[in-house]
Amino acid sequence: MLEMLNYPFMQRAFIAGLMIALLAAMSGSFIVLRRYSLLSETLAHVSLVGVSVGILFGLSPLWMAVVASLIASWLIEYLRSVHGMYSDSVLAIFLSGSLALAIVIVSLSGSFNASLFSYLFGSILSVSNDDLIIMGLFGSLSMALLILFFKELYFIAFDEEVARTSGIRVSLLNFMLVSIIAVIIALSIRVVGTLLIGALMVIPPVAAIRFGMGFFSTTLLSIAIALVCVVAGLSLSFFFSLPSGAAIVLCLLVAFIFAMVVNKR
Amino acid sequence: MKFAPSLFEVRDLNFTHGENEILKTVNLTILEGEYCAIIGPNGGGKTTLIRLLMGLEKPTSGTIKLFGTDQSKFREWHRIGYVPQRSALVDATFPATVREVVAMGRYARRGILGFESPKDVSAIEESMAQMGVSDLRDRLIGHLSGGQRQRVMIARALASHPKVLIVDEPNTGVDVESQHRFYDLLRVLNKTKGIAILFITHDVGVIAEDISKLFFVNQTLLLSQTPQEMLRCDSMSRLYGTPAHVVSHNH
Repeated sequence: MLEMLNYPFMQRAFIAGLMIALLAAMSGSFIVLRRYSLLSETLAHVSLVGVSVGILFGLSPLWMAVVASLIASWLIEYLRSVHGMYSDSVLAIFLSGSLALAIVIVSLSGSFNASLFSYLFGSILSVSNDDLIIMGLFGSLSMALLILFFKELYFIAFDEEVARTSGIRVSLLNFMLVSIIAVIIALSIRVVGTLLIGALMVIPPVAAIRFGMGFFSTTLLSIAIALVCVVAGLSLSFFFSLPSGAAIVLCLLVAFIFAMVVNKR
Repeated sequence: MKFAPSLFEVRDLNFTHGENEILKTVNLTILEGEYCAIIGPNGGGKTTLIRLLMGLEKPTSGTIKLFGTDQSKFREWHRIGYVPQRSALVDATFPATVREVVAMGRYARRGILGFESPKDVSAIEESMAQMGVSDLRDRLIGHLSGGQRQRVMIARALASHPKVLIVDEPNTGVDVESQHRFYDLLRVLNKTKGIAILFITHDVGVIAEDISKLFFVNQTLLLSQTPQEMLRCDSMSRLYGTPAHVVSHNH
């Protein structure tokens, strides 16, 4: 089974996949607890706009996805916090709007090609060395910020109002969190695909919460679930020629069902 | 003669929301070590007044000073413990142990990458012991009763070693017996630790005679007096805008 690691493309897929699993599960805990789970799904659709622009104009789809996702995350947070719009309404507008925009741009490019298919559902063959460098750079920065502000983000998730009155800079940290999530999602599209990354952010924390532990333990379990499922999903993808994103999400669903069965309440 | 320093000083405070005048020309002072209550009818602006004090709302006009410093320049928020309305209503599955919730009270003091110091640990343990929740430390907050959760929230506020504790409508979601125990605890904190207390209630039945100041809020600060003066029919009628008969009884 380990012979799959002899292939350079699988080595790259595993490095990228494990990095994404770690980042997605850690940041996902915060959005799940804040009832903001659809943010990941929405930004994934927005990053598809970046990918489409990249394909149409011959630019790096990954960079374009990062830019599009970041801009959208700031707009979403601005509309939610400054204009007081309901989170789910803002997300619904961006989700459908960005998908419509992506489809129009893809139509302009003339074809719905195989390259776009791999961005939608992920492909273990598509991770290049350049992608790994970009992921390493942004991934490290995102992880550093998540660790630095872990306790503040937890406080905000638990009680935003009291966090604010205790002197924590809630607005700034909220913008930081959505920016980190935007970057993680854009980086994930090579391996998991835009249509499936939301699951990697949401299912591990939701499954871990079922075990009824404190936040620190829940986050560690969530990360462990994500790592195991990414390894299992990539392996299934290799042996059965499946799209990697779909294989990973199916493994996550198995983990979620297991958590539900073990912790019947 | 020695004067206690003022913790809150509010002058000519006005707050409007759209066309609605929520609070008008409010003036109040709370001194160190005082045990105060804000009472008034629902919708009278009590919570808004507290939110203005805590910087969660911006006043339309007027000034607020915290510990002698203008609110916009005030940075030592850990000196104020705040327990908002409905804070005890926590999602049953939220992954937070009692110990983790109380530790949040120290976060603002720890700074970036600040790990828990021995001082933090002792403050957390001390505040849990004070509120009688040490035995619940590993339980999930959402699995506790309303009264227990209320005590955990106070322990969190106490962990930062505040000089003043603000509690908004502490009775929400808490049974009657726990309410009485809760007010006894507030009184003990005030008497033994010297922490100034400011709590909001619309229930005049919980007002004790040892309260230093009572603030009657119904759009404006109608009265500020002692419990003995307040528990008169004319005061109550003025506050609630309807004829009132006060019947006293012993708890």
